[in-house]
Amino acid sequence: MEAALRGLRPGCRRLGGGSGAPRLRSTGAALGGLSKQLLDRIVRVDHAGEFGATRIYAGQMAVLRRTAVGPLIQHMWNQEKEHLKKFNELMIAYRVRPTVLLPFWNIAGFALGAGTALLGKESAMACTVAVEESISHHYNNQIRKLMEEDPEKCKELLLIIKQFRDEELEHHDMGLDHNAELAPAYSLLKIAIQVGCRAAIFLSERI
Amino acid sequence: MSAVAALGGLRRASWRLLRCPAVVRCHLYSSQRTFRASAVVSKISDEQKHEPPSSSSQQHFETYPTGDQPHQEPRASRPSYTGHGGEESEDYESEEQLQLRILTAALEFVPDHSWTADAVAEGAKSLGLSVAAAGMFNSDGSELVLHFVSQCNSRLSELLQQDQKLVQLGQAEKKKTDQFLRDAVEARLKMLIPYIESWPQALSILLLPHNIPSSLNLLTSMVDDMWHYAGDQSTDINWYTRRAVLAGIYNTTELVMVQDSSPDFEETWHFLENRIADAMNMGHRAKQVQATGEALVQGLMGAAVTIKNLTGLNQRR
Repeated sequence: MEAALRGLRPGCRRLGGGSGAPRLRSTGAALGGLSKQLLDRIVRVDHAGEFGATRIYAGQMAVLRRTAVGPLIQHMWNQEKEHLKKFNELMIAYRVRPTVLLPFWNIAGFALGAGTALLGKESAMACTVAVEESISHHYNNQIRKLMEEDPEKCKELLLIIKQFRDEELEHHDMGLDHNAELAPAYSLLKIAIQVGCRAAIFLSERI
Repeated sequence: MSAVAALGGLRRASWRLLRCPAVVRCHLYSSQRTFRASAVVSKISDEQKHEPPSSSSQQHFETYPTGDQPHQEPRASRPSYTGHGGEESEDYESEEQLQLRILTAALEFVPDHSWTADAVAEGAKSLGLSVAAAGMFNSDGSELVLHFVSQCNSRLSELLQQDQKLVQLGQAEKKKTDQFLRDAVEARLKMLIPYIESWPQALSILLLPHNIPSSLNLLTSMVDDMWHYAGDQSTDINWYTRRAVLAGIYNTTELVMVQDSSPDFEETWHFLENRIADAMNMGHRAKQVQATGEALVQGLMGAAVTIKNLTGLNQRR
């Protein structure tokens, strides 16, 4: 509809069209008045995050498949796969470009998962705790931003993010229940991983 | 710096001057859409208080040269092709609309005058404006070419959207991806035919350093549209490779088209068909390589397990 309007009277488009949408990009199915850039960033970074998380669990599973925590990691991995699938759908629906760094996150995520798992079960759990804590923190930030913007228009996205945030927090608690804090150099490991996560979020939002 | 500002001031001054005949038009125009615009007007009414209505433009013109114009921020006097956000006043709105109208009218004169300020001037004349309107734009015709490209892109996306609707309604059959892409590129290139004589010049204008960001933006959005309507579902690095490959095909075919002298550009479409087939083959081959690689890795893992079992390393204690 918007495209048709634009074609007929190019200049008039901005009267009826969205305020922040770039002029020549086709906006696809952007959510009502929500700015395309904000939506792009949210979907792109969340997609990258869930992709990274599935790779981390894949790395952990490669090492810890046959141990007592195997089924637990498998359960969390499955949930992350569901999240990734959801964001794949959103990405196609809203025509969002995936981040260029995906191949890098692929390797880095697997290496992080396998590396911490090689340090022992506890370290693997510490890694889970650190990652899930930053992810849920990041989801909370997004929820705040969306609430500021327009809670009605992005209801669907808000519900999805809220549900995922809760599941990530569950993973975080499961990690703590499985002796994450007994890992060697727990606080150091956690800080290092969280700094990495923050950098990854910063980059994935932008490129 | 001040020279630039002064130039901006000059440009604006010339704009105000030539605006006088345009004012009547704009008012007519605006009265038609008063209903729709009323919301906007109310939003920006306080902005307009600083800016007297356009009918007093003569007065404006007189104040500009005496006023300290270098300190005033020059308004964007050329249409932006990379998009911008934020609210602007109604005054600005109609200025941009007028620029777009002039550029659209100027396209008619491109076959005679090529992509130059002359064509823009002719276009302005055909709208009943002063030929000095060409002074609003860069003298190298950048805006004209960019406007044409963006117009073609939106025409193409409308076309593809209509096709998609027909498929959804079941009135047309869904095309295979290679067929779809070929038709889309062909449809887009056919829009250049009326201007084909002067298109090499337009290409060189698009490749000027200061136009590269805008023309790249236009190219990527066009390619993105094509893939979107082709039903692309990739959300990984394929997203990039697909678009890059299609952009390459489009650009090379465009170059072939410019030099093509065969009737109805037959050779161009033949070339296009071959390139699309190449790209499809490349995709299949990449998939095969990947499958082979995966099989190889699995075989190696199996061999490793066997060796471990043979040497007794795999015993569970």
